[in-house]
Amino acid sequence: MDWSAYILVGFLFAGLFFLGASAALYWAHKHGQLSNLEKGATSIFDEDEPMGEVTDSFPEKKRKADSGEDS
Amino acid sequence: MKSLPLLFLGIFFTLAFSWTGIILTSHVQMKGLAPATPQLVNDDGEPIEGPTYRERGRTVQGENAEGVTANPQPYVGEAQRGKLVYQEMGCLYCHSQQVRREGFGADFERGWGNRQSVARDYIETDRVMLGTMRTGPDLSNVGLRYSELWQYQHLYNPQITSPGSTMPPYAFLFEVQPVSETRGPSPDAVEIPEEFHPGDGLEVVPTRRAKDLVAYLMNLQQDYELPEMKFTQ
Amino acid sequence: MSATPSILDSINPSQDADTSLKARLGEVDASMRVPAMLFLISSVLWLLAGTVFALIAAIKATNPEFLGATEWLTFGRVRSAHLNAMIFGWGNNVIFAVAPWIMGRLCRARIRHTNILLVAGVFWNIAVTVGIIGIMKGDMVAVEWLEMPAYITPLVAISYALVGVWVIIAFRWRQSDHVYVSQWYLLAAFFWLPWLYTVAQVMLVFEPATGVVQSLTNWWFAHNVLGLWLTPTAIAAAYYLIPKVLGRPIHSYYLSVVGFWALALFYNWAGVHHLIGGPVPAWVISAGVVGSVMMVIPVIVVAINHHLTVVGLHKPGWASPTIRFVVFGAINYTAVSLLGSLMALRNVNEVTHFTHFTVGHAHHGVYAFFTMIMFGAVYYMMPRLLLREWPNAFLIKVHWWMCAMGIVLMVVALQVGGWIQGLQMNALSEEGTPVYTFLEVVENTKPWLWGRSLSGLMLLIGHIAFAVNVFWMVFSPKTEAQKSQPTLLTPSTGQS
Repeated sequence: MDWSAYILVGFLFAGLFFLGASAALYWAHKHGQLSNLEKGATSIFDEDEPMGEVTDSFPEKKRKADSGEDS
Repeated sequence: MKSLPLLFLGIFFTLAFSWTGIILTSHVQMKGLAPATPQLVNDDGEPIEGPTYRERGRTVQGENAEGVTANPQPYVGEAQRGKLVYQEMGCLYCHSQQVRREGFGADFERGWGNRQSVARDYIETDRVMLGTMRTGPDLSNVGLRYSELWQYQHLYNPQITSPGSTMPPYAFLFEVQPVSETRGPSPDAVEIPEEFHPGDGLEVVPTRRAKDLVAYLMNLQQDYELPEMKFTQ
Repeated sequence: MSATPSILDSINPSQDADTSLKARLGEVDASMRVPAMLFLISSVLWLLAGTVFALIAAIKATNPEFLGATEWLTFGRVRSAHLNAMIFGWGNNVIFAVAPWIMGRLCRARIRHTNILLVAGVFWNIAVTVGIIGIMKGDMVAVEWLEMPAYITPLVAISYALVGVWVIIAFRWRQSDHVYVSQWYLLAAFFWLPWLYTVAQVMLVFEPATGVVQSLTNWWFAHNVLGLWLTPTAIAAAYYLIPKVLGRPIHSYYLSVVGFWALALFYNWAGVHHLIGGPVPAWVISAGVVGSVMMVIPVIVVAINHHLTVVGLHKPGWASPTIRFVVFGAINYTAVSLLGSLMALRNVNEVTHFTHFTVGHAHHGVYAFFTMIMFGAVYYMMPRLLLREWPNAFLIKVHWWMCAMGIVLMVVALQVGGWIQGLQMNALSEEGTPVYTFLEVVENTKPWLWGRSLSGLMLLIGHIAFAVNVFWMVFSPKTEAQKSQPTLLTPSTGQS
């Protein structure tokens, strides 16, 4: 194959890719996938492990904190 | 985003894109490569410059000239078996087999080759080991640079030929045996300097694998020109 | 739902009446307890084995006569044994422990039929063991990152499929309203790896491609194992753990979406920068360089997100082993990726290519980034799975300091040494002859390689501390645990 043929194929793929990406973006926008994105960030928290609470520390420190609460 | 199919399509296409671009396209481009004579000829048998020529506005592949050896040639026999030894020992991790173009690094100045390696050099090789490390020197042309004796000594103990080298010794590819009293020294015995010699009455004989490996190393030569790459003077 | 759901029920969520119930996090944890322990214990054993192989190889790099008479420990083999033990032994096992757990938690779905995971775990470890023995006895495939002999391929494929399918099924079972960004990364990674592996096996081992197409496939595969398998799983863990531990949502969720697609689009082109200057078509290299440089976008995005989430919370962060390791890893992801983009530039690559700089870069990525994040994930996961506390804080600190300082020393030694090596290798006098002979260059790298061996020793100490802590925790009597309320799964109400 000639060089020009490669370039043609390359452009064809790039074009298809671009069209696909545009279509996907349009679809996502239309179906509200892009609205209220930031809400997703809080989806990892729940009543068991709530937001605003640190959930890990070195074992002894934790034990001290616990005993402090107990007394 | 909630749609699994959309996410999945994206995941699929991104990788498919690079696979098509890097691997499939290169594969298509290189499929036509075959051993070639340094000078190709056109339909009328006239020599041409480079691998292709223009005819009536089209680019046409040149053909090999008759009566001239086409390169590269496949490894056969001992050299092919030696290649397997090279592979299983992991030589690839410290030695490259590619000469970079003049002015990019110092490959030419170090005497590792007098032309750049090109894709055609590797088409007859069943396991291509370009390498990514030069803890040791490049080996594209090691068969041109040293003698067989040097290779044997260097494999037995690299310090013999290259003091300070960090290459591991491959003494386990050799037999250290007493010199036969009836038949005398083995014809294969390798000459080892006194400092490294195992002792009086002993000789160092390469095993089958060492002989194969050296045959392979002696075969590592890019000493031919190709239509797309000539020697640099 | 019946106590023993059939496999069919599990594959098709709609058939189950119980689907409306979100699993509580504690239930997800409990469902992963046994398989995660199997994978974790295997991964720790492989970590130790891989470190020993690494030390042997490192010492050989300065003192070649060390164990030099033993064929199966020759440098080329022990180096490959190290790489495969670390990637497929340690890396994959720890991913198989952590990824389904994170996936299950985010999907609010228990991981079902975990005995299949157990079978997969046993198969996987048999495969890696046989593979490494194969490498050492001389059956190595001379392709970087694909050294394990072809006869273990079926075993690897089957056991991988048995793990991967449960990650995807957990995703189908998801009860959460939102798909969190970590889930994208995990889903993508678990889909990409088998594809990469299959292509590489077919085009390199079973039906080798012609000539340098092999090299292109090799680096497409090898770099993508890092870029599309280790990297996304580690980023997924960081995206989950940093906000989770600190109790603060990720800085910009919008950016994380952009970052995911940028990584998916650019990273898989980057691998061919390992062939710059080589006998491959120039346009492929150019595409690789562009891909590598474009990686700056997802890297900056992830950097903003990870680092800005931590800002202002350094004190609780420092008090958490998980955050120490994960943030160390996240910082190094930024550093190693920006360096990687730089190294793909032709004039930088001219110096760093073929030198120890690249080796340093590989450890920067796989260790300082991936492995450190996985350590952090293990520190968070274990107490929740076992419902008991880490037995010893001192051992965690030994682990942390030895590994953090060890890997910094290693990367600095290899990259400074490698840079000098590259400069000396290329240096020409005015007459156009090399300034340094090859053996002089070799001699000048030795002090740096000694530094590497020293750093390896530090890492070994760190890993032993980690292993002792893990085994102590797994095999200690359970009663001790319930006193300390380690997991905060039942906050202080239970203590009143």
